[in-house]
Amino acid sequence: MRLRYTYRCCFILITVLLLASACTEKIDIELDSTYARLVVEGAVTTDSINHYVLLSVTSNYFSNRPSPKVQDAIVELTFGNETMQLIENGTIPGRYETPSAFRGVIGTTYELDISQLDVNQDGEEEQYHASSTMTGGAELEKIELKYYPTSFVSGYTVFMYLYHAEEIREWFGFKLTKNSDILTDSLYKYSVLSDEIFDSGYLPGLPVGFLSDDDPREALLPGDTLTFELNCIEEAYFNFVGDAQTEIAGYYPLFSGPPSNVVSNIDNGAMGIFAAYSIQRISVVLP
Amino acid sequence: LYNRAVALFTIFTTDIGPMRHIAPVSVFYFIKEFNIPLHVMLRKRYLLILIVSLISLKSFGRETISGYVRDAATGEALIAANVIIEELGTGTATNEYGYYALSLEPGDYSLIFSYVGYSTIYRSITLREGMVLNMELSELLHELEEVTISSTQNNSNITGLETGSTSLSIQSIRKIPAFLGEVDVIKAIQLLPGVQVTSEGSSGFSVRGGGRDQNMILLDEAAVYNASHLMGFFSIFNNDAIKDVKLYKGDIPASSGGRLASLLDIRTKEGNSKQFSGSGGIGTIASRLTLEGPIVEDKVSFLLAGRRTYADLFVFFSKDEDVRNTRLYFWDLNGKINYRINDNNRIYLSAYSGKDTYANKEYAGMGFGNRTLTLGWNHIFNNNLFSNFTLVNSHYFYDLGTPEDAEEYFNWKSNLNDYGLKGDFSWYPSPEHTFRFGVSTTYHIIKPGEITANSTGGINQSFELSHNHSLESGLYFSGESKLGQKFALRYGLRYSMFNNIGPATIPVFNDNYRLVDTIKYEKGDFFNFYHGLEPRLAANYMLSNLHSLKASYSRTRQYLQLASNSAAGTPLEIWFPASPNIEPQISDQVSAGYFRNFLENKLQSSVELYYKKMNNSIDFRDHAQLMLNPRLDGEIRIGEATSYGAEFYLKYASGGFSGWISYTLSKTMRTFAEINEGNPYPAPYDRPNDLAIVLSYDITPRFGLAVNWIYSTGLPFTLPSGRYEVGNNILPLYTGRNMYRLPDYHRLDLSITFRGKEKPEKRWRGEWNLSLYNAYARKNTWTINFVPDEAQPDVRRAEMTYLFTIIPAITYNFKF
Repeated sequence: MRLRYTYRCCFILITVLLLASACTEKIDIELDSTYARLVVEGAVTTDSINHYVLLSVTSNYFSNRPSPKVQDAIVELTFGNETMQLIENGTIPGRYETPSAFRGVIGTTYELDISQLDVNQDGEEEQYHASSTMTGGAELEKIELKYYPTSFVSGYTVFMYLYHAEEIREWFGFKLTKNSDILTDSLYKYSVLSDEIFDSGYLPGLPVGFLSDDDPREALLPGDTLTFELNCIEEAYFNFVGDAQTEIAGYYPLFSGPPSNVVSNIDNGAMGIFAAYSIQRISVVLP
Repeated sequence: LYNRAVALFTIFTTDIGPMRHIAPVSVFYFIKEFNIPLHVMLRKRYLLILIVSLISLKSFGRETISGYVRDAATGEALIAANVIIEELGTGTATNEYGYYALSLEPGDYSLIFSYVGYSTIYRSITLREGMVLNMELSELLHELEEVTISSTQNNSNITGLETGSTSLSIQSIRKIPAFLGEVDVIKAIQLLPGVQVTSEGSSGFSVRGGGRDQNMILLDEAAVYNASHLMGFFSIFNNDAIKDVKLYKGDIPASSGGRLASLLDIRTKEGNSKQFSGSGGIGTIASRLTLEGPIVEDKVSFLLAGRRTYADLFVFFSKDEDVRNTRLYFWDLNGKINYRINDNNRIYLSAYSGKDTYANKEYAGMGFGNRTLTLGWNHIFNNNLFSNFTLVNSHYFYDLGTPEDAEEYFNWKSNLNDYGLKGDFSWYPSPEHTFRFGVSTTYHIIKPGEITANSTGGINQSFELSHNHSLESGLYFSGESKLGQKFALRYGLRYSMFNNIGPATIPVFNDNYRLVDTIKYEKGDFFNFYHGLEPRLAANYMLSNLHSLKASYSRTRQYLQLASNSAAGTPLEIWFPASPNIEPQISDQVSAGYFRNFLENKLQSSVELYYKKMNNSIDFRDHAQLMLNPRLDGEIRIGEATSYGAEFYLKYASGGFSGWISYTLSKTMRTFAEINEGNPYPAPYDRPNDLAIVLSYDITPRFGLAVNWIYSTGLPFTLPSGRYEVGNNILPLYTGRNMYRLPDYHRLDLSITFRGKEKPEKRWRGEWNLSLYNAYARKNTWTINFVPDEAQPDVRRAEMTYLFTIIPAITYNFKF
C-alpha cells in the first residue's frame, strides 16, 4: 500500500511537471451504440444482513438516464447442497435479496445463477452464472493512527497489524468509515492489496489508508470514531477492482495502455462482479 | 604440399599485398590438388571460396587509388561524398568514415570529388601503382585555390541502391523551426515520409507502422535505448555535436540488425583538426556550448559539447518553499577524441552522458539518463580493404523515490547495460563491386527493477526482479555490384543469434497464462537459443541519369523489446529480451520505388510503395501490469501485424531556397487471437494520412525564413460505446480496440533568423532565431477522457486534453 502511495506520488510529480502546460476543453464526439448487456453487482459476506444482487443493463455512454434495472428475473444462490432463491426487493427495482439473517461461511463456494430474463431482447431468455469462494485466513489484530504534518500534505495514516497465512496467496480489500460516514463509498475509493509483497506472516503496521486534513469528510477530529474494515477477497475481485479503477482514472498517452473492458467473473457476456468475501472490523476513537 | 599451402594461403589472403596476382589461380589449385570437382565446389562451402577468387580475378592487374575526403576548414571526414571517374562514368562514395577506394586499370583518369553544399573538385591522376589521394572540399562561399568547377546537386538518390533511406545534413535540420528553439534531430526525422510521431511532443517515432521500440538508434555505433529528454519534448542529441544523420526505413544494411523497423545512424563530429573553434547557443529553455580543436594539428582532435536547461535556476528566487525545493532540468555532454595515427590507422573515443532530473527535495524525485561509449579503430589493411573495429558500451538507467533521509525511504531503480564488440570490413575490388562483411556481438544485462525501502509494516524492505542476461550476435556479408551501366544490385545476408544466459528464473505458463512452474538456471547457463538468417536484397535499374526504378526486400529479427503499451511512453519503461516464452519478432518487407530528378537534380522526387509483414509481434493483454512484474512474460500476447503504404517525397535545394514535402498514405493493422476478440485492429501509431511541408528561404545572406506545416490523421483511439454502473461508479463498455480516432492533427511552425554581418577579420558569427511553435494555436487533442457533467453528475461529457498552443522562443546562436 505504502509502495503504491509512493509510486502514485512519483507519478503525480511527473504528471504535474508534464501537464503544467496542458489544458482541457469540452469536445463533442459521437459514439456508437451497442446492444444491451446484463450488469451484475452482488456480494456475499460474513455479515448477517440482507445480501443482495443488483441487476441492471448497460446503456449508451452519453445516456442521461439511470441504468435500466432488470426485474422479474430468477436469481438463485447455491452453496453446498443448498439453493436459495433471492427475493426481488419491492421498492428498489433490480435488487434481489437474501433473508436478513443470512451470512456467508469462510471456505464455501457460492454459485450465482440468473435466469428468466431477455436482456438483449432477441426473444430468447438467457442464463448467467458466476462463482466465488469465500476466503478468510487472515486475522486482524489492531489498527493505529499516526499523524503526519508536512507542508505538502498532512493527515492521519492508518496502520494495520495483521496475521495472515504465508503458505497461500491472499488478496485484501480495505474500507474506512468515519463515524457513520462510509469514506470508501465507491469502487474507486476501495483499496485492494495482494500479499505478494509481504515479508512474513505478520504485518506489524502496514499503512493501509490516509485521511487528509484537506478533505472535510476525511479530516479526523478528537472524538471521531474511525472504523477499519478488512475484506479477504478473491483474486478475480482484486483484479476487477484494480482494472475498474484504471478505467475510472482516465487515460493519458504517457502512462496508459489502451482502454479495455473490465473483466467480469459472470459468464455469457455479462458485466460486473459477484464476490464472496469475509469481513473483520476494528474501530478506534481519536483521543 | 607447397602448392596446397600456397593455394590455402592465397585463398584466405586474396588481394592482400603482393599475393593478389596469384589469387585467381587458387581455385584451380584447389580443383587440381584436392581433387574437388567443380560442381561440388559450387554446391558446397567451396562456393564462397570460388566467389572470392572470381572476384579477385576482376581485380587482377588493377591498382587502387584510395583516401579520405574531408572538410577543408575543419578536417571532418565527409560521409557519402561522391568520387566519380569521369572517363568511366562510374565511381564510388565515401563510407561512414570518409574513406573511398577505387581499383582501376593503370592509366590516366580524371576524378570528380563532390559533396552537397561543397565545391566540386576535378583532379587528374596518373595511376601506375597503388596511390593514396586524400581530398579536402570547401563549403560553398569559401573558394578553393584549386580548380573549382561548380557546386552540383548530385544524383545519388537516382544512382544509389538504397530504398527507404534518407540522409539529413545537420545544416538542413538547423533550418527547421524548432520547439522552444531547440534544434532537434528526432523532430526533424519525424517530418520524413514513412515516419510518424507517436504522440504530440514525443521523441518516439514509428517507421512504416513499426513500434517505438523497433527503431535502432545508434550514436557513434552505440545503441541508445531512450533518446528523450523531458518526457520526449526534446531528444538527447545536441545538434552542435552531430555531423550526420541517416535513417534507413526499409533496406537496412546487413551490417545492422536487432530492430524490425528502422536504423537511425547518428554520427558525431570528430573535432576540428585544423584550428580551435566553438559554437553554441543561448535559448529560451537551454543553452549549449561546443568546443573543438586540434591537440596536434591534423593528427589529434577533440570535441566537447555540453547542454543544460536552466528553468530550475530561477526557482531559487521563488517565495514558495515547495517551488524552491523543485529541481527540473536535463543536461548532456558529448566528448570525442580522434587520433589519426597515420594514413592507415585512426582511433577514436566517443562518449555521451546525459541525465534528466525531476525532483522535489523534500518528497520525491526521479532521474533517468543514457551513457554511451565507443572506442573505434579504423585500419586500412591495404588500399582496397578498409576495416573498422569498435568496442561499445550503452547504459540506460532510471531511479525514483524519496530523499535518502526521508522517514519512509523508498528507492526504485532499473538499468540496462550493453557491452559490444564489432568488426566491419569493406573491400573495394573494383569500382563495380564493393563487399562488406563482419561480425558483432553484444552482451545485454538488464536489471528490470530493484526496490529498497526502510519502512516497517510487513512490506518487503527490498526486492529485486531477476536480471536478464543475453548475448546477441551477428555475422554478415553484403555486396554491391554494378552490372553494366544501368543495373545495380545489393545483396546481403545476416545471420543473427541470440542466447539467454543464466542466472535466471523463467516462469512457465499454461495456455491460459496461469503460472504453473518456474525453471531456474544457474549462472553462466546458456539455456535458450534463437537464430536465423536475415536476407537483404536491393536492385536499381537506371532509366537515365535522371530517373530510376528501385526495389528491395529485407528480413529483420528483433530480440529485445520494450515493455510499454502507452503511446508516448515514460522513462520508467524497461526492455526485455526474447526468452523461452517469447520468440523473436520477425519482419519481412518488400518495397519498390520510382525516383525522378528535375532541374539539374535540384528538385528530387520519389514515390515508394512498401508492404511489411511482422510475425511474432508483441502486444499486451488488457490492463497489463508491466512495471515491477516478475511474471512479465505472462502479460505478453503474440500476434501478427501488416503495414503497407505509399510514400511521396519532393525535395528542393538551390540557392537560398530549400525544403521538402512528404506525404505518406499507409495502413497498419494488428491481429492477436486474445486481443479485440481476435479481430484485426489499427496499430497504435497508424495514421493513414501524414503530410509535412518543410521550407526555408534565405531572403538575403543575413535574413532567413522557415516554415513547417504538418497534417496527419488523428491517432487511433479506443472509446466506449456503452456504460454501466458498479459500486457507485460508472464504467465504460468498449466494443473494439482503436476503433475511433482522435481529431486530425495539424500545426504551423515559423521561424526567422537574423545573422550578423560576416567580416573576414572576425571569427565570431552570431545569429538570432525567433520561432513560433504552433503559430495559429491549434488545440491538438492529446487524449480524450470523460468527466461528469457539472449540471448532471450522472451524465458524462467528453473532455480533450491538449498540450501546447502557440509557443514563442528566441535563441542566440554563435560560432567562432
